[in-house]
Amino acid sequence: MAEPERSILESIKAQEEVLDTFWARHRFFLMVFGTIIVALVLVVVSLVMYNVGGTAQLDLSRPGYQSVSDQVERTDAIDGFSSVGPVDADVIQEFIELYDEQAAKATAVDAFNGDPLNPELLEFTTPTGAQ
Amino acid sequence: MKWRLIAVIAILVLSMLTSIGFAWSVSAQQSASLSEKQRELIRDNCVSIKSTLNQLKVSDALLRVNRGQIYESMGSKLMSTFNTRLSNNRLDNRGLVAVATGYDGALAKFRTDYQAYEQQLVTAINIDCTQDPDGFHFANENARTKRAQVHDDVLRLHEYIEDYRSAVKDFQLSYERVSGN
Repeated sequence: MAEPERSILESIKAQEEVLDTFWARHRFFLMVFGTIIVALVLVVVSLVMYNVGGTAQLDLSRPGYQSVSDQVERTDAIDGFSSVGPVDADVIQEFIELYDEQAAKATAVDAFNGDPLNPELLEFTTPTGAQ
Repeated sequence: MKWRLIAVIAILVLSMLTSIGFAWSVSAQQSASLSEKQRELIRDNCVSIKSTLNQLKVSDALLRVNRGQIYESMGSKLMSTFNTRLSNNRLDNRGLVAVATGYDGALAKFRTDYQAYEQQLVTAINIDCTQDPDGFHFANENARTKRAQVHDDVLRLHEYIEDYRSAVKDFQLSYERVSGN
């Protein structure tokens, strides 16, 4: 009964030795390979976050957008109001005046109005010079 | 066993019929939407259409960045700070907080709707309109719908900005009534 058990144990031990030798012999290569894999995974994750999170839409340094990247308003057009301090009638009136001023800036432009993608205007117009 | 086999066959046949019906309706919808003359016009105008779409993509991206910054600041630098100041002074700001929360939701919707619109516009631009005028037309119509949605979001944000102003005015009146000024 003990003979087969011994042979199995020896077999397992021999296999472990082979594995130990493999890892020991290739550990530097495996470390480099593992580092590359981790870097690739992190790059993929960051690119997915960049695209899914909506950051890509705000990035005007992308190819094709450089022509307008200098037209980005670098300074914030909206003046802020302090969140600390007392509240009295004068403070409320001061806030209303500031708010009116800033709200006028925010609502001045009716952004994304019009219908530039209307097929009648975009697609079905007769080309210039054609009958 | 026999009934189970019949049931499986029936489910398979039904799903096949549903798929065929759906594919047929989509195909019919697409082909019905364009006449041969319209397809020809799209093919002839393809280069100028692509150019127009690219210009629109760039100008809308700039609009998104500049207007988006203003809308973000309205929420974070005015509504949020005023609400915090009232809260720090133990004043009832529930009405103002409700409007500001609605504004934040509308702003989040503006962001996601613009993202969907931009991606759809890029999809339309990437379709070769000389080869696939129907697919291009369908993608362009989708982008058009999504752009209209973004415009609706902008109008909604403007409404919230007005609502917040009204809520501050209401707060002012009640404050003056309570404080006796």
